[in-house]
Amino acid sequence: MTSAATTATAPKLADRMRAIVGPTNVLASPSDLVVYECDGFTIEKNKPDVVVFPTSTEQIVAIVKACGELGVPFVPRGAGTSLAGGCLPIGGGVMIALTRMKRILEVNYRDRYAIIEPGVVNLWLTNHIKPNGYHFAPDPSSQGACTIGGNVATNSGGPHTLKYGVTVNHVLGVELVLPDGRVVQTGGPHEDNPGYDLTGVIVGSEGTFGVATKAWVRITRNPEAYRTLLGVFESVDDATNTISEIIGAGIIPGALELLDSLILQAVEAAFRFGFPLDAGAVLIMEVDGLDAGLDQDAERIVEIAKRNNAREVRRANTEAERLLLWKSRKQAFGAVGRLAPSYCTQDGVVPRTKLPEILRFIRAVGTKYNIRIANVFHAGDGNIHPILLFDERDADQVKRVLGASHEILDECIRLGGSVTGEHGIGVEKIDFMPKLFSPEDLAMMVRLRSAFNPENRCSPQKMLPTAGACIEQSKAGRHAAM
Amino acid sequence: MPTTTHIDGFGPLSMTTPTTTAELAQVIRVAAAGSTALYPVGGGTKLSLGTPPTRPGQAVSMGGLTRIIDFPARDMTVTVEAGIIIRELRDTLAREKLRLPIDVAHADRATLGGIIAANTSGPRRYGFGTLRDYVIGISALNDEGNEFKAGGRVVKNVAGYDICKLLTGSLGTLGIITQVTLKLRPLAEEQAIISLACDADKVESILANLHGSRTRPICLDLLNRLAARRVFDQAHLPVPDAAWVLLVGYEGNADAVSWQVQQLVKEVGILAKLEARVDFTAQPLWDSLVEFAHRPGDELVLKASVLPSAVATFGLNADRDGVALRAHAANGIVYGHWTADASLDRAAETLKRWRESSGTIVTRCPSEWKKTLDVWGPPRNDAWLMREVKAKFDPKSIFNPGRFVAGI
Ligand SMILES: Cc1cc2nc3c(=O)[nH]c(=O)nc-3n(C[C@H](O)[C@H](O)[C@H](O)COP(=O)(O)OP(=O)(O)OC[C@H]3O[C@@H](n4cnc5c(N)ncnc54)[C@H](O)[C@@H]3O)c2cc1C
Repeated sequence: MTSAATTATAPKLADRMRAIVGPTNVLASPSDLVVYECDGFTIEKNKPDVVVFPTSTEQIVAIVKACGELGVPFVPRGAGTSLAGGCLPIGGGVMIALTRMKRILEVNYRDRYAIIEPGVVNLWLTNHIKPNGYHFAPDPSSQGACTIGGNVATNSGGPHTLKYGVTVNHVLGVELVLPDGRVVQTGGPHEDNPGYDLTGVIVGSEGTFGVATKAWVRITRNPEAYRTLLGVFESVDDATNTISEIIGAGIIPGALELLDSLILQAVEAAFRFGFPLDAGAVLIMEVDGLDAGLDQDAERIVEIAKRNNAREVRRANTEAERLLLWKSRKQAFGAVGRLAPSYCTQDGVVPRTKLPEILRFIRAVGTKYNIRIANVFHAGDGNIHPILLFDERDADQVKRVLGASHEILDECIRLGGSVTGEHGIGVEKIDFMPKLFSPEDLAMMVRLRSAFNPENRCSPQKMLPTAGACIEQSKAGRHAAM
Repeated sequence: MPTTTHIDGFGPLSMTTPTTTAELAQVIRVAAAGSTALYPVGGGTKLSLGTPPTRPGQAVSMGGLTRIIDFPARDMTVTVEAGIIIRELRDTLAREKLRLPIDVAHADRATLGGIIAANTSGPRRYGFGTLRDYVIGISALNDEGNEFKAGGRVVKNVAGYDICKLLTGSLGTLGIITQVTLKLRPLAEEQAIISLACDADKVESILANLHGSRTRPICLDLLNRLAARRVFDQAHLPVPDAAWVLLVGYEGNADAVSWQVQQLVKEVGILAKLEARVDFTAQPLWDSLVEFAHRPGDELVLKASVLPSAVATFGLNADRDGVALRAHAANGIVYGHWTADASLDRAAETLKRWRESSGTIVTRCPSEWKKTLDVWGPPRNDAWLMREVKAKFDPKSIFNPGRFVAGI
C-alpha cells in the first residue's frame, strides 16, 4: 500500500507536477485544495496533496510514473458530480483533473461514432451533433456538468436507459493510462475486435483501473417524434401496475417516470404545471421513435392506464407542454428544497414487479423512523430514488435518515435487486458489497483489478472492501449527502 | 457413461457431462490438481472457432446443465443454466411474447453458454446490438472450482466490476459459465424484409442513402450473387437477378412497419429493384439469412471488420469466383464463405489480401490448415493486458488453453 505525501514530500511532489504540466496547471495551496476535498458526496472529505490539470495523454503518463516513483496514490476526477465519493483522494496524493482535456476529436456520422477527450461535458457532445440529428444517448440528470470520462468510469444511466441502455452500451473503445504508465487502447470504431471485451469492464470500474484519456462513443439518431402522456392515479400501486402492463404489452417507452404525492407538491409549487395535488401518484409516460407507430402505442398506453384505475390521462399537446413536463421532472430534486432544509437521495434497484412492495416498504420505513420520504424515479427499470427529507442540524434526524436509508437498501437486496443502479459504489456503499457478493465474487473482482492496477495505487480503497484497510466509516451522516 | 469427442481435430478427448454445478466443480478441482486442460463444449456448433487445442485434457459437456432457474416474465428477465439449448430458451420466452433478440444458427443444437462464449450475432445486430447488451448477470466456476458471480437479476445495476462483459466472448478461457441472467425484449408485433437488387456501382449510394433514411432498419445485410442464391434458394424463393442484393429488415408495431416499407420504396425505389415481404411471408427469408452463418458445406469462412462506410468498397474488391459474401453492412462486418473447392493456398492468399484493409479472422476452416493460417491475426495493442487478465483468472491455464487470441 502506498502512503500519502507527508508535509516534507508534498512540495517536492508539487514541483514534479509543475515540471510535467507547467505551473499554471497545478494547484497545491491549502485554500485551492479545499475545493477538491470531496465530490457530490460531501460527508467524507480529504484533501489531495496536489491537483494537476494535464492536457495530454503523455502528461498523464508522466504524472502516474512520477506517482509510482514517489510512492503516492492518485485519483482521476472529471466534474466531481459523483454521488458515491468516487473522487475522494483517500491517502491524499495526486488528483488528476481531466477538465482541461475537453476536445471533441472526431465525429463520424456515416460510421456513427465520435472520439472525445475525457473532460468533454456530456451535453456538449449532444449539442455539438444535434444539428445533424444525432445525440449521445446516456443522459444523466447531471448532463450539463458531468464529463463523459466520468460517465464512462461510473457507467452512468438516465431517464432513457430503459429503451436506449446505459453508458456501456454506447462505448466502443477506451484509451487508458495504466497506473504503471503504459497506455492501451481497447476496442475502437470497428466492431467485434477479437479478444476480451476489456472496454466492457473498464466502463463502470469507477476510476480504479487507470485514467481514461480518450473514448470512442456511439452516436445515436434522434427519434423523429414523441407522444408524452401524464397518467394520474389514486394510488402508487395502480401506477406501478400500469408500468408492468405497458411493458407486458410489448411497448418499450422512451421514458417511464413516477412521481408520488409528496414530490408533486414540491414540483407544483415550483413549476405550476397543474399537477393534481390530491393524486396518489403520477406517471410520465413517453414513447418515441417514428411518428408512424406512435399513436398506436399511445392509445394502448391510455387503455392500460384506464384499466388500472387512472383518474385521467393527459396528453402534452404542444412541444411547450412537453418541455414543461420534463422540466418539472428533471428539476424535481431542486424543488425538494421547498419541503425540507436537507435531503438525501438514495439509489436502489428492484425487479420492476417488486416496485409496489418496495414503495410500501419505503412508506413503512418513513413511519418507523419518522422521516418524510418523497419518490421520483426511473420506474421503467425499477431504479428507485427515494428522497429522505430532514434537517441536518438535528443530529437525531441525521441518525434516523441513515437508519432508514440502510433499511431501504437492505430491502432492495432482499427483493433481488441492487444497492446502486447508476450512482456507483465508490466509498459510500462499499459496506454493501459483501451483502451483494460472496467472498469468492469479490476475490475475482480483486483478481481483475490486479491485472490493471496491481499495486492499487490508482484510486485506492474504492468499490471493493479491502480486508484490514477499511476507511473510517463511523462518522454519522455519511450517507446523508446529496 | 464415458464418451469421447474431438475438438477442432484434436483428440480423442474423454468427455464428461456433469448434471450439477457441484459435479462440474469436482471435475475442475481434479483438473486443477493435475494441471490438465479442460475444454468446455456446448452444442458443438462453434468448435471450429479458434486455434486447435494443443494440451491433452478432458472435454466437459454442458448438456447436463439446462434448467430454467427463474423466469419473471413481467420483469423481462430470465435466469437459466448455461447448457440450455437456444431453441428451448426461445420457445419458453415466446410463450410470454418475449425473446432474446440475438440471431443464432442451429438453434436446436447451440447452447446459451456456447453463444455467449463465442459472442454469436447475426443480421438483427444492427437494431438490437450483441450479447454484451443482454447478459446482465453471470455465474461461473473459476480455476479452483469455486462459483463466482457478477451483475445480478435486475436490468440496471452498477455494483461491482462488470465481469459479465469480460466473460462474453471469452471463448471459455476464463472460467466455465454455469448460469446466466438475460435482459429480454418483447417479440415484435410485425416484421418486414425488403430485398433491393442492384448493380455493383449502386451499392455504396444505396447504403449511404439508407444511412440517412427516415426509416430505422434493424437489419442491413448485403449479399453478393452467390450468397443471395444460397439464401433465397434455402427460403424457396426466386433469386433476384443482380450482382448484389441488400436485405433491409424492419420490426415494430404494425403502423410503424407498414409506413417504413412504403417510405423505403419512395427513398430508394429508383436505385434498385425492390421486393417487400411482410409478416409471415418474411419469415423464410429471415430464417435462411440467420442460418446462412452456418451452412454445412462451408469449408472456409473468413470474418472481416471494417468501418460501415468501407463495406461497399471492401465487398466489391472481395467479390471473386467461388466466394459467397454476406455483410452486416451497417456494422462493418463482412463474412466470406467458401465451399469444398477452397484450397489452403487460396485461403492464405485471400486472408493476406483481406488483412490489407481490415481486421480479419478465420472462423472456420479444416483443422490442419490452422498450422499455416494465422486464425486470429496479429495481436492488437491490448493483447498483453488480455494475457494479464487470463493469468489472473486462470494462472495454470486449464480452461481452453491455446485456443484464443494472443496465445491465450
Ligand atoms: C444533480 C445530480 C444528478 C445526477 N443524476 C445522475 C443520473 O441521472 N444518472 C447517473 O448515472 N448519475 C447521476 N449523477 C451522478 C454523476 O453525475 C455521474 O456519476 C457522472 O457520470 C459523474 O461524472 P463526473 O464527470 O462528475 O465524474 P466525477 O464525479 O469527477 O468522477 C466519478 C468517478 O469517475 C472517476 N473518473 C472520472 N473521470 C475519469 C477518467 N477520465 N478516467 C478514469 N476515471 C475517471 C472518478 O475517479 C470517480 O470515481 C448525478 C449527480 C448529480 C450531482
